[in-house]
Amino acid sequence: MKTARASRRRYPRQAASGTSRHRTRANDRLAWTGVDLLNGEIVPSLTVLLTTKGCYWARRDGCTMCGYIADANPDAQSSDIQKQLFEVLAQYGTAFKIVKLFTSGSFLDQEELPLDARDAILSALADMPKVIVESRPEFVTSEILDDVVRSNQHVEVAIGLETSNDHIRNNSINKGFAFRDFVRASKIARSAGLTVKAYLLLKPPFLTELEALEDATQSILDVTPHADTISLNLCNVQKGTLVEALWKKGLYRPPWLWSAVEVLKRTQETATVICDPVGGGTRRGPHNCGKCDREVVAEIKEFSLSQDSASFTASCTDQMLWEFVLEFEEFSYGAPLVP
Amino acid sequence: MPRQFEVTRRDGAARLGTLTWRGEELTTPSSFESKEDLEFLNALTIHNAELDVAVITSQEDPKAERIDADVVILGGAPRFSDDPRGLTRALVRARESTNPDSALYVPALGTPNNVSLLVYAGVDLVDPIMAEVKARGGYLLSAEGERQFDATSRSYCMCDACRGVNVADLPPEQRVTVLSAHNRHALKAELCIVRENIERGTLRELVEARCRTAPMLTALLRLLDEEHSYFERRSPIVRTATLLACSQESLNRPEILRFGERVIERLKKRDGILLLLPCSARKPYSRSRSHRIILNRLDKLRQFLHEAIITSPIGIVPRGLEIMYPASNYDIPVTGKWTCDESEWVIGRLTKYVEANAFDTVVAHVSGPYRKVCDEAAAALGVDLVHTVEDGNILSSDSLQRLCAVAQELVAESSPKRRDLRFDYLQDLADYEFGPHASTAIFAESPKVRGLFPTYYASDGRTRIATIAGRYCTLALTIEGARRYLRAIENRYCVRIDDFVPKGTVFAIGVLNADPEIRPFDEVIVLNEHVIAVGRALMSGWEMQASKRGAAVAVRHVEAR
Repeated sequence: MKTARASRRRYPRQAASGTSRHRTRANDRLAWTGVDLLNGEIVPSLTVLLTTKGCYWARRDGCTMCGYIADANPDAQSSDIQKQLFEVLAQYGTAFKIVKLFTSGSFLDQEELPLDARDAILSALADMPKVIVESRPEFVTSEILDDVVRSNQHVEVAIGLETSNDHIRNNSINKGFAFRDFVRASKIARSAGLTVKAYLLLKPPFLTELEALEDATQSILDVTPHADTISLNLCNVQKGTLVEALWKKGLYRPPWLWSAVEVLKRTQETATVICDPVGGGTRRGPHNCGKCDREVVAEIKEFSLSQDSASFTASCTDQMLWEFVLEFEEFSYGAPLVP
Repeated sequence: MPRQFEVTRRDGAARLGTLTWRGEELTTPSSFESKEDLEFLNALTIHNAELDVAVITSQEDPKAERIDADVVILGGAPRFSDDPRGLTRALVRARESTNPDSALYVPALGTPNNVSLLVYAGVDLVDPIMAEVKARGGYLLSAEGERQFDATSRSYCMCDACRGVNVADLPPEQRVTVLSAHNRHALKAELCIVRENIERGTLRELVEARCRTAPMLTALLRLLDEEHSYFERRSPIVRTATLLACSQESLNRPEILRFGERVIERLKKRDGILLLLPCSARKPYSRSRSHRIILNRLDKLRQFLHEAIITSPIGIVPRGLEIMYPASNYDIPVTGKWTCDESEWVIGRLTKYVEANAFDTVVAHVSGPYRKVCDEAAAALGVDLVHTVEDGNILSSDSLQRLCAVAQELVAESSPKRRDLRFDYLQDLADYEFGPHASTAIFAESPKVRGLFPTYYASDGRTRIATIAGRYCTLALTIEGARRYLRAIENRYCVRIDDFVPKGTVFAIGVLNADPEIRPFDEVIVLNEHVIAVGRALMSGWEMQASKRGAAVAVRHVEAR
């Protein structure tokens, strides 16, 4: 049965997030700087978390892996939100090439982010080479984008598509929209002269490791024509989510880092995929055996910037276990073979 | 489609069975072997073909209609690898919510270390997935547990995979190959041992030994023991194997709890003088040296006394039940010291026994830990004991003399009725086996008792009513005995069958209705419109009713009704 070694918490603290949209509540910062890829160049970036009243979908229904609603503020006013950004800019300056504005919901939803705040924020960043905002596809309409473009022409619309498989998105994620909604949103954004970023999720619940790996690979291929940037998010266990409930019952395990490496290797020829393994090497985050995790996390981050699979040199004895898991996990009928 | 799985032998919740698997007969409990096996089964979960296969969760409602399939898969089982409470609940629910003749497959959980406990809890099928996973984690598995291999490790195993190989020196990939072959071998070997123990009726002894090797497994056995009714409903009434009570867990064996319950709840109420005696190593007690000395000295006085033996872990054994399993057939480590748990349990049984009967006087011919137990029980009851051992030796001439003097005095004082002691055995067994008032029903007028210890038999002068018979020393009814029982007590221990004349074996498929109280090896009465028969149950009553396959009753005598 399970050994002390396996049940030991691998790292005392969550690895701090660098550039990803995903974060954990352990990380209380509302802004941070990092480096990202812009037109093949590595450039400095600023990430800002804007606390709004939260994602309307999370308030109404919610996705199985997303716990960001816990960080929302139901009373957030337009002026508060604007103030948050200007305080961050005052602190960090504007010497960046990329600014990412994460509301943990839909930046383009007027209910969540009132129009005046949206205009003020986008206008303030009009000279930034790239401003990334997140939105569900239902808010990516010509009307709204016309508005957006008036304030800022360098916006990238980031959509949490998670997978190109409607069945998985419906049943494992409960996302509430279809692939064709994403495609439509992408076309509208591009015809408005904006770029599109797609978030894909490696290992939604109820999938085996192999199914997850294949789903992510296929999704990257499907999304490539419709997205300028693809970000592969490795599912982590967030507080208060269905994924957490399953994880606590031993019915979910975050993806192996090897699976992420495999997906990136398989799609390297056809797509540009960035990946930041948030919480990599922790029990709640994507992890391997515990011995090789740090190294593999570093290599995935390196690959995100270099897009060169020569970044992947690590090898560890647990790869044999990972390969076995890929082959045999389905025969457990619903539970991961190893924690 | 006929059932593809048949249970052939039971030992509590564990069973031996035969599964028709890909054209061959697989003897369970067993492990699937290859990936093809797993794929074959997986395909059957979607399209039932040769086998009816159902996947269940640990949330099945045991009150809903039983799930009927040849093979039932407990989905997501590996999540219980570190959760004995969840595993206990899931296994009990799985078996209680499925048909008794469904094979229970627990995927990706079995290891050489835990498989005996899984089978004990009711699992029929496992697989080598965990053996392979552990091999890849560098673990060498054995029935005693797992060992991580590092550069200094040595395998002392003599299996084909390990012999002549220094596993630690091998490069990682070859090491995995060797470990995986070894781990699979260890799992198969342990399953052989498990099957053999089921056959001998000694799985519990094996499980008590295995559970010592890991806290998780000890916790699992203790939690399983809390599911008393689940195991009691499946435990045979008798065994030929000696019950070895070598651990703390032995106290909670289903048959020990059942014996204690039945002594209180089923036996005829006794009055007069109770004589408490200590147990002996030799069974039955009355054949031991110490009991023979005491009983010889008491001689005819015995006819006025009720004797009961104090013993760990069984508690109180009335003399008439000394030939009944487990009292007839157990062994414990004798050190002259009792643990607190043992004492507490025996004190409880003694207290309840005295409470349940109507004795005027309790005489205790005991010493050492027995005396302490008697005193504490007496204190709890507010009863005065008459101690007849003052020098710590129950066989000293002083003690024996005092015992006889006390007995004589008490008998003279209260002049209780003289009894035929041989009849005590028949009465107590009848009540123990057939429930309260059975002895009154069967032996209404005091019958003629004949025979040599312990195979006494009773008759009404011409017709035999019942015999203490067989290697188990249980009470076997004749048809006359069965008729007498039926006249007074309808339905209990009865198996109603379809309209046919039973010969030899009655199969479960022919059973219409059976008393759910019937346990394997119970004496039962088989009935339909036209015939009455007596025989020995081969499975529990509730199981006869729910099963489609398997032998239900071995019939001994048949007569027209």
